Amino acid sequence: MAILLAFLVFILFLMIQIGILSNLPLLQGYPDLILLAIIAWSLRPEVRTAWQWGVIGGLLMTLVSAMPVGVYLLAYLLVVAMAQLTRRMVWQLPFLTMLVMTILGTFLTDSLSLVVLQLMGRDLSIRFVFGTIFIPSVLYNLILALPIYAFIGELAKWVYPVGPIYES
Amino acid sequence: MNITSRNLQTIVFVLIAVGMIALALGGYLTSLSRIFLNPLIEVQAWVYSRFQVAQDLLRAPQDMARLQQRNAQLEAQVSQLQAQIIELQQQLTETRILSALVDFARANPENRYQAAAVIGRDPSPFLRYVIINRGSDDNIRRGMPVVTQQGLVGRIEAVTANAARVQLITDSASVVNAKIQPSGAQAVLKGQASGDLLLDLIPQGVSIEVGNLVLTSGLGGGYPPNIVIGQIAGIRSQPQELFQSATVQSVVDFNQLEIVLVIVNFRPVNIEPLIPEGNQP
Repeated sequence: MAILLAFLVFILFLMIQIGILSNLPLLQGYPDLILLAIIAWSLRPEVRTAWQWGVIGGLLMTLVSAMPVGVYLLAYLLVVAMAQLTRRMVWQLPFLTMLVMTILGTFLTDSLSLVVLQLMGRDLSIRFVFGTIFIPSVLYNLILALPIYAFIGELAKWVYPVGPIYES
Repeated sequence: MNITSRNLQTIVFVLIAVGMIALALGGYLTSLSRIFLNPLIEVQAWVYSRFQVAQDLLRAPQDMARLQQRNAQLEAQVSQLQAQIIELQQQLTETRILSALVDFARANPENRYQAAAVIGRDPSPFLRYVIINRGSDDNIRRGMPVVTQQGLVGRIEAVTANAARVQLITDSASVVNAKIQPSGAQAVLKGQASGDLLLDLIPQGVSIEVGNLVLTSGLGGGYPPNIVIGQIAGIRSQPQELFQSATVQSVVDFNQLEIVLVIVNFRPVNIEPLIPEGNQP
């Protein structure tokens, strides 16, 4: 169920991202809805399929984007690992964790993309990328982080309903 | 006796009535009737106006509900008409674009074109690619040039059955062999991470000016020759350097790409096997 839901959510988010949000850049930064969905899903304590979501999101992004194969997959799996680690450490502040993970996840994804593209011979200066891509992308992602956290949270509750608690 | 007196009274009454009617018809009672009727009319008008006010007061909620209903109907109709206007405007814009593309295709009969709509952009902020709604089912192949009626857009980089990914000339990995008009000097056009276009490797001896036209040269076999790319917007020339460079203003607005043409009868030439191993990128 959670896997099927991942496909549906990611396809919906991808359509919004490549069809709408990619036409509304902030400087040259775009939001990454798939990344936000993966972070939000991974931070939910009841979720048991975070890794699967990371793999599906990474594969779908690889399918759509011209980015070299494996960059998104690796980036998203690293983000899942970080999110799960962070969840165990600061589980009492989910919204704050979501925001922190959004910044870290964007940084990780953009850094990995930058390194791979530079290794492939593209002329990308770090200063330019930091000012016109990374910072605007982080801002964009932070704006969308909380609505997506709320949306994914509702989905998680629906997929993993918490049973009634009986006191002895 | 009584009967005779009563008949007489009746006759007198009828005669008076007939006389009055005759006088009234003759217009002799007008001034007299005005004296009596005017106050009556005034009173009647006042009574009727009060009645109307009272009637309106009683009818008001019913009318309000009816008006609200009518207002809602009209608002819905306005919304529907506005949506229709937007749709028609969109169709008009598409028709204008298609008309311009048809003109362009007629002006360049040596090429065969396949029109395609842009349906998305690459989700990575580092890359400048667009996705079009035509693929291998429509004879689109990797390497085919993509243009609009204004000029060069890029080339097909990946193809699926019903869609293709186009690398824009503004992508930082894009390289196009170009020539400058009117000098005819050869140069290399490179996309920049910022989305700008840099014309590099222009020989020092060549005279170039802002406003010169930049076209594809056809060298290297990657693009057909003489497709307009843009105009030189700025020149960077240092006497100690081997080459000049220039920034190019593209004729295509890459943020407004809606419909593009793929040149389907152009097959790119792969010259990589001809390049010595040490010089390959």
